[in-house]
Amino acid sequence: MNNVLSNILRFAVVLVLQVFICSNIHLFGFATPALYLLALLLLPLELPKSVQYLIGFAAGFVVDMFAYTYGVNMAASLIVMFVRPYLVKLLNGRNTTEGVDRPVPGVKDTKWMFTYVIVLSFLHQFFVVMLEAHSFRHFGYSLMAIVADSVFTAFVLLCVLYIFYPARKTR
Amino acid sequence: MNNLIEFFRKNFHFFLFAVLLVVSLVMLGKSLAYSEYKFAKVFQSTVGPIQKSWSEMIHRFSLGQENEDLVRQNMALMREQSNMFMEKEDTVLSMMSETDSLHPKSVRLYDYTYAHVIYNTTDQAFNYIIIDKGQRDGICRDMAVTGPKGVVGVVSDVSNNFASIISILHPDSRISAIVSPINQVGTVVWESGDPSVAYLENIPQHLEINIGDSVLTSGYSNIFPKGLLVGTVKEVSVGKNASFLTIKVKLATDFKRLNTVYLIENLYKSELDTLKANFKDE
Repeated sequence: MNNVLSNILRFAVVLVLQVFICSNIHLFGFATPALYLLALLLLPLELPKSVQYLIGFAAGFVVDMFAYTYGVNMAASLIVMFVRPYLVKLLNGRNTTEGVDRPVPGVKDTKWMFTYVIVLSFLHQFFVVMLEAHSFRHFGYSLMAIVADSVFTAFVLLCVLYIFYPARKTR
Repeated sequence: MNNLIEFFRKNFHFFLFAVLLVVSLVMLGKSLAYSEYKFAKVFQSTVGPIQKSWSEMIHRFSLGQENEDLVRQNMALMREQSNMFMEKEDTVLSMMSETDSLHPKSVRLYDYTYAHVIYNTTDQAFNYIIIDKGQRDGICRDMAVTGPKGVVGVVSDVSNNFASIISILHPDSRISAIVSPINQVGTVVWESGDPSVAYLENIPQHLEINIGDSVLTSGYSNIFPKGLLVGTVKEVSVGKNASFLTIKVKLATDFKRLNTVYLIENLYKSELDTLKANFKDE
């Protein structure tokens, strides 16, 4: 129960920050961090998949509503939620039982965490930028935007993660 | 039958994923077509007020009042510029029309007002701007919009308290412009991609255009007054279409830092439009 409440609270805080602050940041003119991805990445993995999709869809909907980019963030975060379980399975490798529930630095090692965050933020930003541009005509510019956005997003997410969920001293 | 239900239940999450993805892509597709822009208005009416109060709060932190006073002073000065008036000979006819006290022989053709940007995009294929003034503040369709540095766009849609602007960074926006020293008329258009560069079309190949030449509004459209800066020539090359030059224009307005915009109304627009309505097409 406590876990549910903290997840809801996290979504509220992250979405407000995203809508009012992060969506208005354009570093170097185009890099915009998708902070709300944090709440999606921290969702418990044992939630039913359909619930995860609905949550991703709803979060994207709120962000899209304020950014007037109908459908872009919805589709991107939906795809992230779809890919996430498979990525976790891949990253966990053989020892599937170890800390499946909480993908945070205290539970997972640095390499796991970095791959998880970087791959998913790249995926998310790839779809956001490509759907916004909806053409391959200016692929060079889009590619630059994807790289800048995903690097910035991953950086912000990793900073927040390591500040709020500090890695425990090695056992 | 049971197998089918079982199959469906097992893969329910996948069907849900597909349905949600289709929903979001349909929304995306609809928002691209301008005729479906109504759809966006529903959101605008719910989200607009929240965004307005937020931008007002930000405004308070950024020397809002000081800025406001300067904007108003600027506007008063711009209203008196010569391209706001049309000159009339002092004849019986002109004496019957209304005249301005400062310029007894000239008639005011354009008037200014200003507004603040509350929503703005630059990195999409179709870019719109929303301002915090609407019908109640006297904003109407087809008013010209300029920023402190140069031309911004044209008002496309007006609601009670807000108005949306098609910025230059929109494929539908076409602005009639002249290249400064030779005064040749062309059209400024934008293609998606870089928000600081547009193209000047319809300039014949035999003309000599130099890099750095100013591109100004022509005043032929009845929307923009004459002589507002659009940008400067950045690159000139011979296009694929042999008869015209391909001219890259560096836009004067920095669309990423747009806060205050000025709206210009042509006071005689309806009169001019009725004249134009009688033109024969081809």
